[in-house]
Amino acid sequence: MTFSMKSSQKCGLIILLGLLAFAVLGSWLSPYTISQQDLNAILEPPNAQHWLGTDHFGRSMFTRMAYAVGLSFALGLVCVMTSALLGTFLGVWAAWSGKQVDGVLGVFVNILLALPGLVIVLLLAAIAPGSFLMLYLAISLVQWVEYFRVVRAVTQAVVQSPARQSSQMMGFGRWYQFKRHIWPAIAPSVFTLAAFGGANAILTMASLGFIYVGIQPPLAELGLMTVELFPYYSEAPWLLVQPLVVIALIVFGFHLLAGKRI
Amino acid sequence: MTILLKLTNVAVYAGDSCLLEPISLSLVQGRPLTILGQTGSGKSLLAQAVMGLLPEELALQGEIEVLGESMTCDERRALWGTKLVMLPQEPWNALDPLMKGVDQVQEVYRYVHGKHQREAMALAQADLQYVGLAHSGAKRPSQLSGGMAQRLAIAAATAGGASLILADEPTKGLDASRRLDIVRLLQTRSAMGGLLTITHDVAIARQLGGDILVIKAGRLVEQGDAQTVLSHPEGEYTQALLGAEPRVWKEASFSVPLPESPEVVLNVEKLSIERGGKSLFNDLSFQVKQGEVVGIVGESGCGKSSLGDALLGLLPVASGRISRLIPAAQPYQWLKLYQDPPSAVTSSVTLGKLLEDLVGLHGIDRGRIAPMMDKLSLPEVILERSCHGVSGGELQRFAILRALLLNPVFLFADEPTSRLDPITAKEVTTLLFSLARETKCAVLLVSHDADLVRKTCDQVIAL
Amino acid sequence: MKQLIFRRLLQLVCVVWGVGTLTFVLMRALPGDMAYRIAASRYGQDNVDSQAAALVRNELQLDLPPWLAYWHWLMDLLQFKLGHSLVSGEPVIDSVQHMLGHSLLLAVAGLCLSALIAVPLGLFSAWRGNPLDSVLMGLSSMVRAMPVFVLGVLLLLVFALHWNWFPVAGFGTAMHLVLPALTLAISFAAISNRVVRDSAKQVFGSSFYTFSQVKGLSKWRTFQRHGIRNIALPVVAFLGIQLVSMIEGIVMIESLFSWPGIGHGLAHAIFARDIPVIQGAALAMGALFVLLNTLVDIVCHWIDPRGGMPV
Repeated sequence: MTFSMKSSQKCGLIILLGLLAFAVLGSWLSPYTISQQDLNAILEPPNAQHWLGTDHFGRSMFTRMAYAVGLSFALGLVCVMTSALLGTFLGVWAAWSGKQVDGVLGVFVNILLALPGLVIVLLLAAIAPGSFLMLYLAISLVQWVEYFRVVRAVTQAVVQSPARQSSQMMGFGRWYQFKRHIWPAIAPSVFTLAAFGGANAILTMASLGFIYVGIQPPLAELGLMTVELFPYYSEAPWLLVQPLVVIALIVFGFHLLAGKRI
Repeated sequence: MTILLKLTNVAVYAGDSCLLEPISLSLVQGRPLTILGQTGSGKSLLAQAVMGLLPEELALQGEIEVLGESMTCDERRALWGTKLVMLPQEPWNALDPLMKGVDQVQEVYRYVHGKHQREAMALAQADLQYVGLAHSGAKRPSQLSGGMAQRLAIAAATAGGASLILADEPTKGLDASRRLDIVRLLQTRSAMGGLLTITHDVAIARQLGGDILVIKAGRLVEQGDAQTVLSHPEGEYTQALLGAEPRVWKEASFSVPLPESPEVVLNVEKLSIERGGKSLFNDLSFQVKQGEVVGIVGESGCGKSSLGDALLGLLPVASGRISRLIPAAQPYQWLKLYQDPPSAVTSSVTLGKLLEDLVGLHGIDRGRIAPMMDKLSLPEVILERSCHGVSGGELQRFAILRALLLNPVFLFADEPTSRLDPITAKEVTTLLFSLARETKCAVLLVSHDADLVRKTCDQVIAL
Repeated sequence: MKQLIFRRLLQLVCVVWGVGTLTFVLMRALPGDMAYRIAASRYGQDNVDSQAAALVRNELQLDLPPWLAYWHWLMDLLQFKLGHSLVSGEPVIDSVQHMLGHSLLLAVAGLCLSALIAVPLGLFSAWRGNPLDSVLMGLSSMVRAMPVFVLGVLLLLVFALHWNWFPVAGFGTAMHLVLPALTLAISFAAISNRVVRDSAKQVFGSSFYTFSQVKGLSKWRTFQRHGIRNIALPVVAFLGIQLVSMIEGIVMIESLFSWPGIGHGLAHAIFARDIPVIQGAALAMGALFVLLNTLVDIVCHWIDPRGGMPV
């Protein structure tokens, strides 16, 4: 199974890698910390000392942005890994192991799907305010269902297919059938879902930050920074622009990487 | 005798390459014209060209006269419905899936002839009655069988009163028993006008009579009176095409005789199978011996394929006993050949890799592969391709190769050649049966083609 | 149809159970005395003393093991005893009713507006050989990449703060509705115009569409008789799938524009740890979701009575 990327997908990958490099290098190189205040230098425009300016407490925007982007990527990555593995495994299992497993998992999924994902995440986030771990668990809990549904549907078709049936009749085992028949059929969908899932996880965290129920100050988080900097839009518009542009870039990068729509 | 349609040197090009070489023909009132050729021979392009439905990227040359007047594409489009009409290839796709059948006929009277709703409805009902669908008007296309859908499409197409009817593969995807009904209906509907039929089915061409044109790969190879051409074909290609019809095959086309004192492979006693709570057949008993070819015939939906699947243990049985009588045979020596070769072979890796997997799993002697491929006339290069890169016939032969490498004792062939063109189908069938006989493998053949079964099978089971 | 309604009722049960359970866990997880909080939720923050708390503890048998407490909690919920807000002291059921009305207004306005944008654009894109097609598709990809609150902030900056055309936030006049509804509509239209386009392209290229013209019907008649319904079907089914993102959009937009709807209420209540309101708002949000789902189902069924339900 080889992945050949379209040019738009490569473009998305470059955007994401660029942002990742910014996050890693930024946190590493910057002499400031994210909460180091300098009340003598607030709302400064970009300059030699503070490449992206300073916020309303005189904190280095470069450092804070790097931290926020890093945090977003970290969350996106762990959420995608967890939900993709869980959803794919359970999806294949449900489609391939008969009615009972399918039925039990179906009940689970229906309960999760009864409420909009953001509401579930909001309620769970309320239990442990500002906790990265809780955000991660809540978002993964909501997201694995997507993988499950798609993988289950595709796998069901493959399990019924003459190709798999004939491999089974020729004596090939379950692992072989998965490797040759099921995985090639589900891999493109899983990849697409993962790209969208990464964007959605980051977006959910930013949304929660934006309504003050996600990551708490003084940590730097894209959604939180948007609300924090909003009151200064006329004095220092370059500050408000930064988190907005970066969120849009991340999401755009992931959408390009996905290559197609769901 | 008026000439309804006259083509002069009509050709179709895609850029520089010629898809349909210049062809001239004329269709006169009351004498049907049939174009015979295999799938992909460019015959459908001709119908699209006449209608003015060619895809934009294709270019049309030559002159098309309809009802004695040379016309441009747009002028021909203006005749749609009232003078000129084309029957769709696959009626299920050609009917609006969300609209009741009767409404799809009624709207023609209403909007083409400008009748009032009530009158249009009455006329549509009468039409449906004429094609035998009096009680199915309220159904949607997905609730109709293929034959019913095609009759509905015919009613809808001819409601406009067109005198010139083009039928492009009007029987594609229909059961053999339904095909002639459709042809008869077409004949009566076009009795006053002209009928141009495009088909790959020799039986239909024979039934229609009139004039015939045989096309191969975009080129006209033979032309003339249908009766003459079909009984005394001159061209090599026409001869091969006609010779591929199972009804003219020589009996015992395979040289190898049945093995002497063959062992019984499979014993079936009082077998009953149900599907969805409905009984398909009851108390079926028979035996299959080594090297024997057993044919199963019957209407579609009577459980032919279900019987084969049940024998392989792929479907549960309602009652009865199936005993496998060769104790030494492993489970993987009971195999199935599928109807649609591309869906039976995964496209994720090359065919060579698939063969490698099989050799590795069962420790097969690699030396057997080359001679076997030779016998099946499979070129070495196909092993470097995935299943999308080879033709249907090659793929089916590859499937046979994989099966034979496992020394099967029983092979269930489920319409193995119905998706192949007739000449290839004949090759594959002959090869399969002679190789199976050589290796003493029993074959259970399911086919809708009664001639094929009668000519090739040692035992026939009718369901 | 019966099966459809049954499925939605089941979903409603799941909503009630899910919200009840989550808020129960939330209740237990918060620091402090639970009896105090419940007393406060019943009688208002000002009327609580240790006596009232003791009363509640006694009545609800809060010393009982958690699972029994859980049982009582769910029973209260089933009888619609939603309690009082810990902050304002108002009965939760009243404020939820108000909020739900406001959210519905926003949802309906946003949906209609997005249909007005997406349907003509989608059909226009689907027109054969349209040079603007790729431009429109590129544009919608860009808008799609913008999270709804980013879009909202941009609209707010431009139309409310820079040009002063519309009020910044709040609720009252029709002008207040414009920006929130427009934000919702644009973000939703950016997704759905593609679906309209793809669906229309497919229908225009389908053989039944051609066959209708071959039968003699004019282009316009064909569109009217065979185009509209067949194009609408996948669009409505898609709408059902995208309802989740619409609800999520409503939460964000209401918070941004201080629109006094459910989402705004929920976010505020979570911020203020006002558990009765959290529960009420989450329930209402779930109910809104079920209601919209049911509406989509009914429309689908009306377009295509064959029983093809959206997955």
